[in-house]
Amino acid sequence: MKTKFYKPALVFFAILLLSFVPPVEHIKVYLIGDSTMCLYTAKQFPINGWGMPFANYFDKDVTIDNRARGGRSTRTFLAENRWQPIADSLKAGDYVLMQFGHNDEGPPPQYADRYTPVPDYKVNLIKFITETRAKNAIPILITPVSRRNFDKDGNAKETHIPYTKAVFEIGEEYKVPVIDLDKISREYYQQLGPVRSKLLFMELDSAEHPNYPLGRHDNTHFNEYGARKMAQIVLAELKAQHIPLADHIVVGANKANVNPQAK
Amino acid sequence: MKNQFCQLGIYAFCFFAFINISFFIQPGHITIYLAGDSTMSDKEVKAYPETGWGMPFHAFFDSTVTVKNIAKNGRSTKSFIAEGLWSSISNNLHNGDYVLIQFGHNDEVPTKTNYTPPADFKANLVKFITETRAKMGNPVLLTPVARRKFGKDGTVQGTHDAYSAIVRAVAQEQNVPLIDLDKESQALVQKFGPDDSKMLYNYLVPGENPNYPDGKQDDTHFSELGARKMAEIILADIKALKLDLANRIVISHFGIK
Repeated sequence: MKTKFYKPALVFFAILLLSFVPPVEHIKVYLIGDSTMCLYTAKQFPINGWGMPFANYFDKDVTIDNRARGGRSTRTFLAENRWQPIADSLKAGDYVLMQFGHNDEGPPPQYADRYTPVPDYKVNLIKFITETRAKNAIPILITPVSRRNFDKDGNAKETHIPYTKAVFEIGEEYKVPVIDLDKISREYYQQLGPVRSKLLFMELDSAEHPNYPLGRHDNTHFNEYGARKMAQIVLAELKAQHIPLADHIVVGANKANVNPQAK
Repeated sequence: MKNQFCQLGIYAFCFFAFINISFFIQPGHITIYLAGDSTMSDKEVKAYPETGWGMPFHAFFDSTVTVKNIAKNGRSTKSFIAEGLWSSISNNLHNGDYVLIQFGHNDEVPTKTNYTPPADFKANLVKFITETRAKMGNPVLLTPVARRKFGKDGTVQGTHDAYSAIVRAVAQEQNVPLIDLDKESQALVQKFGPDDSKMLYNYLVPGENPNYPDGKQDDTHFSELGARKMAEIILADIKALKLDLANRIVISHFGIK
């Protein structure tokens, strides 16, 4: 009679114990960066950071931990103690994808609170890289995603020149893969042109969306659609550069053929 | 003396019980049920970036509103009823709830198993309305959202004309608020034009999106952008129709920099 009760209990506790064993080789991908990458809540929709849709395209062995925050430069990200907890929890095989620049480059006096001159920007990125590698984790540099800025002839202008250059210099010196999101995003805006490219950004009429009663005309922050397009660029670059993380990008089974009738 | 204490205790108990309850039942909390097909439904992550308009619709309302998206891919009014999806709404309806009803995409296709002939389509819509009203709920009818179809001259072509006409007729006969989404979304697709309108729908080139390795050209289902634009049309109509629901649209003081 007694054993009848013990057996299921034992099985139960065995399962309970097993559930505490972490899955083998689980990879954590930390995203560090600014408002173009970070998470947003429903109160802020339709704005999306590209890190939001990015998280939807990995298999179960990968967790995306989006630690990016709006308004942060490399300097303020460090000063607010946002980096150290990540450095502490990194383990071998994890990734750190870093995309800063939008706020580092903000000129004083208006953006003195976040401004980080290029030499300091480089020192801070090198710190992220060195401390990531100290844990046998893998750093990936990403140039700051381009702002939408067309000249009067309809040419998409570069908007982060010295900071993007700095990212490349560090990438070369420290042998860190660089995803040139600045360039690829700008080429994409160019392909769409001055008018259509607005559809990627927070471009809202007043009364269009209740979260933005005064409307919004923003050439930096993405809507859901633009954020996903940017995420797709980063995913494609992970594959193109044969970064092992790309082996964990899902391979979907959705068919391409046009279904003439709705499902 | 003892009795007095007892009475006091009972009053106190009632008082605190009342306060407790008021925390759980927010005054005037309502549910909006969405009844419809794949153009409205929540998607599985593996289908992203395909998006139903019910997904962005959630973000429009304040904390007194819960949006429950019961819409499912492939459903007609007939299969929505047959699979118990409708009863899952009608059984849970409360005074003041809303039901937004948008069908037609699957009802209208004679070759589909879910085909619902015009007379049955009409009867099913009337059933939804009657049973919603029996629970003191508020039905709202929507004509089926447009497919992306252009004529040679670049003019948008209607693809639901017969079934949209039925929805309009039922709305009038039953005195139900109507959102003519078919007409209004056709106007939006026309405004975007044959090329740009692809951005509203799930159009992907091969290799662009991991979920669709061979790409996708879908003239029925939306991208995130299209789904939100459709939801915004519906929201504008909720305001224009002066539905009570319009008083529960979120009021934002939000601004980011």
